[in-house]
Amino acid sequence: MNVLNALINRRRFLQVTGATAAVAAGGVGLQGFSPAAEGQVGRSTSGNTVVTKSICHQCPARCGINVYTTNGRVHAIYGDPGNPIANGKLCPKGHLGTYLLYDPDRFKGPMKRTNPRKGRDEDPGFVPISWDEALDTVAERLNRLRESGESHRFAHFYGRGWGSSDAGLYGDFGKLYGTPNSAIGHASICAEGSKRAKQATDGNNSYNAYDYRNTNYILNFGASFLEAFRPYNYLMQVWGHMRSKSPQTRITTIDVRMNPTMAASDRYLMIKPGTDGAMALAIAHVILTEGLWDKEFVGDFRDGRNQFRTGQSIRPARFEERWTHGIADWWNEELKDRTPEWAEQITTIPARHIVTVAREFATTRPAMAIMERGPTAHFNGTYNGMAIHALNALVGTMFAEGGMFYQMGVPYGSLPVDADDYMDDYAREMQGKYPRIDMAGTEKWPMAGTMMQETAKHHLAGDPYRLDTAMFFLTNPIWSAPDPHLWEEALKDVFIIETSPYPGETAVYADLILPEHTYLERLQDSPTYPFEGWPMTALRVPAVDPVYDTKHFGDMLIEIGKRIDGPMGDYYRELGDVENILRHRAAGFVDNPGDNGVNDFESWKEKGVWYKKPYHWRYWRGSFWEWDGEGYNVEMSEADVGEKLLRTPTGKFEFKSGFLERHAGYIAQEMGIPENRVGIIQWVEPVHTGGGDLHFVTPKTPLHAEGRSANIPQAQAYMQPIVGGRGTCYLEIHPDTARQRGIADGDRVRISAEVRGERKSILAVARYMPAHRPDTLVLPMEYGHWAQGRWATAEGRDIKPGHSGDITENLSDPISGLASYYTAKVTLEKA
Amino acid sequence: MAKWGMVIDLDKCTGCQACTTACSMENNTLPGESWQDVLFYHEGEYPSAQMKWLPRPCMQCEKPSCVYVCPTRATYKDEEAGGIVFVDWNKCIGCKYCMIACPYGVRFYADEQPLVEPDIRDVYPGENGQMWSPPYQNPEQDWRRGIGIQPKGVVSKCTFCHHKVSKAPDGVADLDEDDPDLVEYVPACVRTCPPKARFFGDLDNPESNVNRLIGDKHGVRLLDHTGNRPQVYYLGAGAGIPAFSPRKS
Repeated sequence: MNVLNALINRRRFLQVTGATAAVAAGGVGLQGFSPAAEGQVGRSTSGNTVVTKSICHQCPARCGINVYTTNGRVHAIYGDPGNPIANGKLCPKGHLGTYLLYDPDRFKGPMKRTNPRKGRDEDPGFVPISWDEALDTVAERLNRLRESGESHRFAHFYGRGWGSSDAGLYGDFGKLYGTPNSAIGHASICAEGSKRAKQATDGNNSYNAYDYRNTNYILNFGASFLEAFRPYNYLMQVWGHMRSKSPQTRITTIDVRMNPTMAASDRYLMIKPGTDGAMALAIAHVILTEGLWDKEFVGDFRDGRNQFRTGQSIRPARFEERWTHGIADWWNEELKDRTPEWAEQITTIPARHIVTVAREFATTRPAMAIMERGPTAHFNGTYNGMAIHALNALVGTMFAEGGMFYQMGVPYGSLPVDADDYMDDYAREMQGKYPRIDMAGTEKWPMAGTMMQETAKHHLAGDPYRLDTAMFFLTNPIWSAPDPHLWEEALKDVFIIETSPYPGETAVYADLILPEHTYLERLQDSPTYPFEGWPMTALRVPAVDPVYDTKHFGDMLIEIGKRIDGPMGDYYRELGDVENILRHRAAGFVDNPGDNGVNDFESWKEKGVWYKKPYHWRYWRGSFWEWDGEGYNVEMSEADVGEKLLRTPTGKFEFKSGFLERHAGYIAQEMGIPENRVGIIQWVEPVHTGGGDLHFVTPKTPLHAEGRSANIPQAQAYMQPIVGGRGTCYLEIHPDTARQRGIADGDRVRISAEVRGERKSILAVARYMPAHRPDTLVLPMEYGHWAQGRWATAEGRDIKPGHSGDITENLSDPISGLASYYTAKVTLEKA
Repeated sequence: MAKWGMVIDLDKCTGCQACTTACSMENNTLPGESWQDVLFYHEGEYPSAQMKWLPRPCMQCEKPSCVYVCPTRATYKDEEAGGIVFVDWNKCIGCKYCMIACPYGVRFYADEQPLVEPDIRDVYPGENGQMWSPPYQNPEQDWRRGIGIQPKGVVSKCTFCHHKVSKAPDGVADLDEDDPDLVEYVPACVRTCPPKARFFGDLDNPESNVNRLIGDKHGVRLLDHTGNRPQVYYLGAGAGIPAFSPRKS
C-alpha cells in the first residue's frame, strides 16, 4: 500500500498546476446552450462560440457543415442540419477538416524557388516573397508570352475547384488572355466514363441525380456506394432509410473485391475486372427473352407476343418502340447471343446468378442500375457503362419516381461585366488558333472533354507545342496521374505555379508557391454535384481569419488578371473580387427565393445554402410530365422530351448510339470495331496493361480525402477497413495466390508492371484476405506520397506501401478519355 | 436521473467510422486512442466470404469490472450522471488494472509509442499539464470525469460525451439529433452517424425510443455472460464478436 500511496501522492503533486489550469480553461467552455432558434442551431448564448456555415472540401459531395469556433479557434465540425445533403450528418472525413486548417506543414505565405535544378530530391530552396512580387512575377511572364504571340503556352490545371468563385473564372480568363488551356480539368483522371456512357445513350453528358429514397431495387456495378461514391455522407443516410423502410430496398452489388458495400448488400457477386458490360448484356438478354421489360417506356411487339428468343433475330417492323431507339438492331446485332452462359465464361459469375439478378431487377420496381469507375476505368469503359445504363431504359427508370434524372442549374444573377466586351484583337485572333495542350476535342480525342493525363507526353514531344508556364489548383497529376514519372520530366522545364496550401508533390517542382486559403478560410459558392435533380448551391463562409498569409484562389486569378496589359486588366478591375462576384450571383435569388427563405447574399451566408424543390420533370406510365408550379400536370411532346430530357439525336434513349455513330471512323480505327457496328451497345474486350498475371485494383477508401488525408494522422490511424489496417494499408491478397508465390501473411512484397515498356515496381506489405478473388490484388490508392507533409512521407514503424500510380500505364478509353486505372495486370513476388 | 443507454443497429451501420472520427475530434484523442472504435472481421472464403464490422464504444456497464479493480477509486460509476463510468484523472495512477479487467477493450493508456509517426505529441507539446495541446482543442475540460486532454500516465475512456449530455433538459426520454432543441446535447458518435444506426436515451423510461427499439428488435448486450450488464445494446444481425483465431501464414 505504501507504494500505491507514494504513487498517488506523486500524481497529486504533479497535477497541481494541471488541475488549476483545467478549471480555468473550463470557464470558457461551450456552456449554457439555450434551445436553438430556427436556423441558429448550436449558437452559444455565452457569445464565445460561433457557428459558421461552410462546405466540406474533402470529396466532391459538398456537405454543408457547421463549424464551431471558440475564441478564434475552430474545434469542431458537424453536419449542417439545414443542408439537404448533410442533414446534420458527416462521413468520417468531415470531422477531420480541422486538421486541414491547422496542418503544421502548411505553407505560411507566397514563396519563390531559388534552386534552378528540379527533381524529387532537390530542395527547391524556397524563400518568402510578398504577394505583390508573386503576382507581378506571374503577370510579367503572362504579358511577355502575350507580346510574343505565345499565350497558348500558358495553361491552368485544376481538380476539386467549384462554382463561379474559382473554377468558374477560368473560361473568361482564357478567352481574354488568349489560351485554349484555361483550364485543363481533371475529369479524365476522375470518372468521365459514366458521363460519356450516358451521353451516348440518353444524350446527357453528366452524372446522374438519383431518387434513392423511393427506389426498391439497386443493381450496383462498381459504384462503391458505402466508400467513395458521392455524395458519400448522403448515400449512407439514404442507406439507413432504404434498409429500414417498407418495403426494404433490395441491393445487389457487383464488384471486383470485397468491400463494405458488398458486405452490406443483400447479394454480392465478385466479377472479373473489366467485364461488367458482359454481365449487363446478359441481364438485358434475360429481361427481353422473359418479357420483363417496361413496355410503356420501351414499347412492345405489335401483336403483343414476345419474339425475343435466344439466337434468333426479330423483324424490326414488328416491334413498335416508344421512348427508345434501336432495340431491334441491338437485339439482332448483339443481344440475341449474349446469354447468361456466354457471360459466365467472361465474367466468372455463374449463369444462374445472372438469371436470378435479372428477374429480380426487372420485377422489382422502381429499380435502378448504377455504376461508376469500377466498370468504366477500362479501355472498354464507355461500352461497359452503356450496357449498364441501358438496363435503366429496359425497366423504365429514366426520370421516374425512384429512378434517375439530371441536375438542374442554379438561377444565378449575372456578373457585373461581360468578358466579350473586353476582348482585344489579340484575344480574338487566338480563339481557335491552337489546340489544347492535351488535344481533347481534336481529331486525336474527338469525344473527350479533357485529357489531362496526356499533357506531360505532349509537352515533352513538343506536339502540339511545349508549355511555358502552368498554374495548378487542387490537382496534383505529378503524383495522381497514371505514369506520373513522365510528369516529373515534363515539369522540369515548365515554370510551375502551385497554389495548394500544402507541400505536395507539385510544389517540389514549383517555381512559385501562391498558397490559397484552406476551405475553412474561404468565401466560395458551390452549385451542387448532381444530387436529387432540383437546383441547389451552397456557400462557404470563412470560419476564421486566414491562419497564414494566404489568398483565395479566385482572388488570385482576379489579381493576376488586373495585371495583364490591355482591356483584360480593366475587366478584372470591374469584376473586383470574389465577394463582388458572389453578391452578383446571389442577386438571382431575389426573384427566386429558396425553400429555406434565402433571397440575397446575406441570407445565403446565414443559411449556407439556397435550394428549390421540386425537380421539374417526371416520367410516369409511358408519358413525360412537366411541373406547372403545383403538380406534374403538363404532358410533354416528343420534341420537348428530346430537347429537355433525352437529348440524343433521335430524342429517344438510344440502344444504337447516334453520338458514337458520328465518330464511327475514329472508333473503328482506335478500337477495331466495324464502322457499321460502333453505335450498338456491345461487348468489347478490355485491354489489360502491365503484362502481369494478376489483376490490380486500387480503390479509394472512406478516409481517402483525394490525397490530402495522407497528412492527417487521425485518418492514417483509421485507414481501414478491409483487413483491419492500423496506421497503414496492406496489399490484400487471397491466401492461395500468396502461398503459390511463397508469400506469408505480413511479408513485404514487390508489385511490378510494365509501364512504357519498362518494368516498374512498388513495395507493399501483404495481408491475407480470403474474401477477395484469387486473381485480383487490392491496394488502396492513398499511400506512396513523396511529399505532402511529415505524416504523408514518414518512415515510421508502419511500412507504407508505394503509390499505385507508379505502376499504372497511361492507357485511356478512346471514347471517354478516362484513364484505365483498374485495368493493370501485375506480377507479384516476395521482396 | 436518467439512466443513459445507447442502441446501435448493426443492420443499418455502414462501417464508415464517422463515429470514430467525430469522437476523436470532440474529445481530442490521439491517433489510435479510439474511444469509439469500429472493428472489422471476415470469415469464409471467396466467393462466399462474409465481411462484418462492430462499432464499439465503452459499454458504461451497470456492473463495471473496471470499477471493482481500481486501487485508487479513480474510476467510478456515476449514477447521478446517468450511470456513466468515469476516470478521475486526479486520482488515476495509470496502473492499467482496469484495462485488464474490462472485457470490451475500451480503455486506453496513451503514453505508449505512437500509432502514427511522427508523434503528434511532439508537434503539439503539452501545456498546463496536458499530454499534448493541439490548436483545435475542445474548450470543454473536467479532469474529475476524464473530459478534455489527459495528463501523462492516466487511463482514458469514452464518457458518453458527458459534457454534452449533462446539459440536456431534465426528464427527456431520448436525445435525438434530429430535434433542433436537443442536437447539441447528443453524444458526438450518435449525432453524426449518417445512416442513423445509433440512438441515445433513457433506459429507465419505458416510453423512450431506445427501450422501444430494444424491445422491438431484440436488443442484445455484448458478452452478457460476464455479468457486466452493459448500457449499450446492439440490434440486428452479427451482434457478436467472433472468436479469436490466430492468423495462418
